[in-house]
Amino acid sequence: MMIPVVLALIGFLALSMMLYFATTHRHKGGDLDQLASQLKPIDVNAFRNLIDEGEEEFLRRNLHAAEFRSILRERKLAAVEYIWCAAQNAAILIRLGEAAKQDPDPVVSAAADKLLDNALRLRLYAFQVVPRLYLGLLFPGASLAPYFVADSYEAINRQAVMLGCLQHSTREMSSAS
Amino acid sequence: MLFLRYYFWIAPHVLLAGLLVGIYRRGLLRRLPFFIVYIFLELAQFLALLTMNWLPAASENEYHWILVLGLGMSVLVKFGVIYELSNELLLSRSSLVDLWRRLFRWTAGVLLLVAVFASATLSSTGVKNIESIFHFLDLSSAIIQSGILLVLFVFTRALHVPWRSYTSGVALGFGIFSTLELSTSGFRLESGSGGSIVIDLIQMAAYHVCVLIWVAYVLVAERSPVISGRGLQKEEIELWNQEVQRMVRR
Repeated sequence: MMIPVVLALIGFLALSMMLYFATTHRHKGGDLDQLASQLKPIDVNAFRNLIDEGEEEFLRRNLHAAEFRSILRERKLAAVEYIWCAAQNAAILIRLGEAAKQDPDPVVSAAADKLLDNALRLRLYAFQVVPRLYLGLLFPGASLAPYFVADSYEAINRQAVMLGCLQHSTREMSSAS
Repeated sequence: MLFLRYYFWIAPHVLLAGLLVGIYRRGLLRRLPFFIVYIFLELAQFLALLTMNWLPAASENEYHWILVLGLGMSVLVKFGVIYELSNELLLSRSSLVDLWRRLFRWTAGVLLLVAVFASATLSSTGVKNIESIFHFLDLSSAIIQSGILLVLFVFTRALHVPWRSYTSGVALGFGIFSTLELSTSGFRLESGSGGSIVIDLIQMAAYHVCVLIWVAYVLVAERSPVISGRGLQKEEIELWNQEVQRMVRR
């Protein structure tokens, strides 16, 4: 009787999770301006510094072991906060990109699609990098620097600008005609 | 009880036939080919079993074989539908293809082992051959499908992948049905024939709910979300980007 009970519990848990995800994760409307205002600027340079292996090596050579461990911990935790912030921005850009994808101009729609793809990539990287940073806390000697997040973040920012320009020029053209 | 059994047996299939017409009218035939095949298969199996049920010449054994064959084919096609859903949601996005494929393979592999273990443990209680195969298929497919669908839901949720109305409807329908099958299948072997009838009724009711969800999501026209505001504007984005660029420059 043990296995059927376990399977039943797993089944009901999975059902509740699916219902929760299906009801909360739908196409959302809302105020796009308010959404765009939630985008937080990220100090990518500071983030790069936090995950720079050379910087870490320098600190290791010049600090006492206990002091180094304490600073390393602070640096990794700060890097995690940066990544979560970038991942939240990516989530907002996904919604803004999804709205822009409905634009009748195929150029704007294609740019929005590219932005969406990169924002998804950034979220994906964020989920891969955060455990690596925590692992870096446990194994300070291991090389776990996630540089690609910073690169990816810069790439989606460039695409967001391009998309904004495209939408702006399309609206100007349509209001002129 | 007899009325309920007939109702839960016939009503979902009548709705499925209506759903097929609705899918054709909404032009979704090419988008959901595996789902269409699944509906055809379900309808064909239903008609065959209904005929055999009222045909005095058909034996119980023949009826069970048709049931098992239908279930086997339906399980395979359901995996096709899940692939179709993940294709619609994830595989069209180049950044997610590799990770999703790896995740899908690992999930399917682990779930297959769990399903074989659970089914083997439960079917060792000594049942007739054909019923054994039916229970094995029933439980194994429920475990694997529930697991893969749950991973798909979690994965898309974590990455904020947008769902279209009909994809979420089809996935949710299969999700509800497979998780309720998973919750009840294990008890089938432990209970007697009376218990088995109750489990049958629960699973048939779950299937009815599942078909109603498909009808609601597929046939009710997708409502566009109400959007206000202009979104990302050139100046705002440039300012925001300049700030980031300034910070990035070494």
